[in-house]
Amino acid sequence: MTPSSIIYQDKINYQGRISNWLKKNSLPNEFLGFDHQGVEILKIQPQDLLSTSLALHSYGFNYLRCQSAYDDSPGGQLVSVYHLVRLSDNADEPEELCMKVFVSRVKPIVPSVYWIWKTADFQERESYDMYGIIYEGHPCLKRILMPEDWVGWPLRKDYITPNFYELQSAY
Amino acid sequence: MVLNTSNDIGLFTEFSTDELSNDNSSVLNSVNSTEVTQHLSNSIILTTVNDLHNWARLSSLWPLLYGTSCCFIEFASLLGSRFDFDRFGLVPRSSPRQADLLITAGTITMKMAPAVVRLYEQMPDPKYVIAMGACTITGGMFSTDSYTTLRGVDKLLPVDVYLPGCPPKPEAIIDAVIKLRKKVAQENLADRNQFAPIHRYHTVEHKMTMVNKIHPGSYMQLESRKLPAILENKKNKAAIPSDVKIF
Repeated sequence: MTPSSIIYQDKINYQGRISNWLKKNSLPNEFLGFDHQGVEILKIQPQDLLSTSLALHSYGFNYLRCQSAYDDSPGGQLVSVYHLVRLSDNADEPEELCMKVFVSRVKPIVPSVYWIWKTADFQERESYDMYGIIYEGHPCLKRILMPEDWVGWPLRKDYITPNFYELQSAY
Repeated sequence: MVLNTSNDIGLFTEFSTDELSNDNSSVLNSVNSTEVTQHLSNSIILTTVNDLHNWARLSSLWPLLYGTSCCFIEFASLLGSRFDFDRFGLVPRSSPRQADLLITAGTITMKMAPAVVRLYEQMPDPKYVIAMGACTITGGMFSTDSYTTLRGVDKLLPVDVYLPGCPPKPEAIIDAVIKLRKKVAQENLADRNQFAPIHRYHTVEHKMTMVNKIHPGSYMQLESRKLPAILENKKNKAAIPSDVKIF
C-alpha cells in the first residue's frame, strides 16, 4: 500500500498506518496528517521518543534521512523533526515517516537518538547550535557551525544579532 | 644644487622658521622643497632602479592558495589551462610565508575572520590584497540578514583592489590582477618602510586565558561514545554542557 493510495481510501477519522500500529503497541502518538508528498507526520512527546524510535527501528526504519529543527512561533515552542525512511534492497517506494517533537522554549530537552541512528551526531549538534535544543545522551553536544564561544541561538525567531563591528553595514 | 634625500625633517625646520614662509626661493633647505627634491631624486636618479624593482615584483605576484566558498571555484579555474594565470607570473603558494598576494575568494564569517587575519599577518611584506567577489567587498547577498557574515573583508585587512562580481568571471579576476600590477608599477622604493608591519593596527592588551585545544583529534574516541550514559546509570544531566544556561 503506497502512501498515496491511503489518502483516497477513508477520509473520516482516518489515522496513518504507522500511527495506528504504534498505538496498538501502546506507544502514544498524535497523528498530524500527511504532507504534500503523502508522508505521515506524527507528533511525539519527548518522554516517548526513545521507545518509539526503538520500535520504529526494529520495524525497519533504518535510515534517519534528516534531523532538523524549527521554531514554531516567537514565544511558542521549538520543534525537533526526524525524517525516517525504511531502506531495503530493490525498494520501489520505501516507506517514509516524519516525527515531530514539540518542546517548550524555556526547557528544550529532548532525548538524543544518536544511539539508534548514528547520523544524528552532527545533525543534532546543528539543531543545538541554531535553536538551543538540548539533546540528552548525545556524546558530544557542542556548537558545530557558529564559533565555540558564541552566545545565543541564531535561528530562533526572537534572536537579535549582536552589533559587532564586523556585522555592521559596510556603508 | 645639493639634492637632499634625507628624511630627517627636523634638521631643515631650523632654517625655515627663520625666514618668511612665502619666500622659499632664498631658503636653501625648506620643508616643502624637501618633498619636491625627494620626488625629483626618485624620478631622475632612481627611475631605473624603481622600475626594475617594481617590474620584478609585479610580474611574479604569488597568490596564496586560499578560498572559502564559491569564488574559489572561479579562482581555481585560473589554475587550469583555459584561463592560465601562470602567464602573468602568478604561481599559487600553499604557505602564506611564500605568498605575496592574498585573493580573498569567498565569504568571510565571524568564525573565519581570525584565521584570515592570521594568514595575512604571516605573509611577508610587500603584500597585496584583492577583495574578490561581492561578499568580501560589502557582504554581498548576505549583507541584509546574516548574523555571522562579515560585511566586507576591508574591516579586517587593507585592500588594494576591489573586484566586484558574484562570482567574478576568471577574465574579471585577470583584469583585477592587471590593475594591481599597474598599482605596483607606481610604487616608490624609498617609501618601502613607511608603513612598517609593527604598530600598524591599534592593539589592546587582552585578558584572555589559555584554553585546551578544541579539536585534539580524538572526536570518535571520546569516552561518551562507548556507552550511552543511561546504561551506565549516570545522571542524564552529565550530557548537557556545563556552560549552557537553560533560560
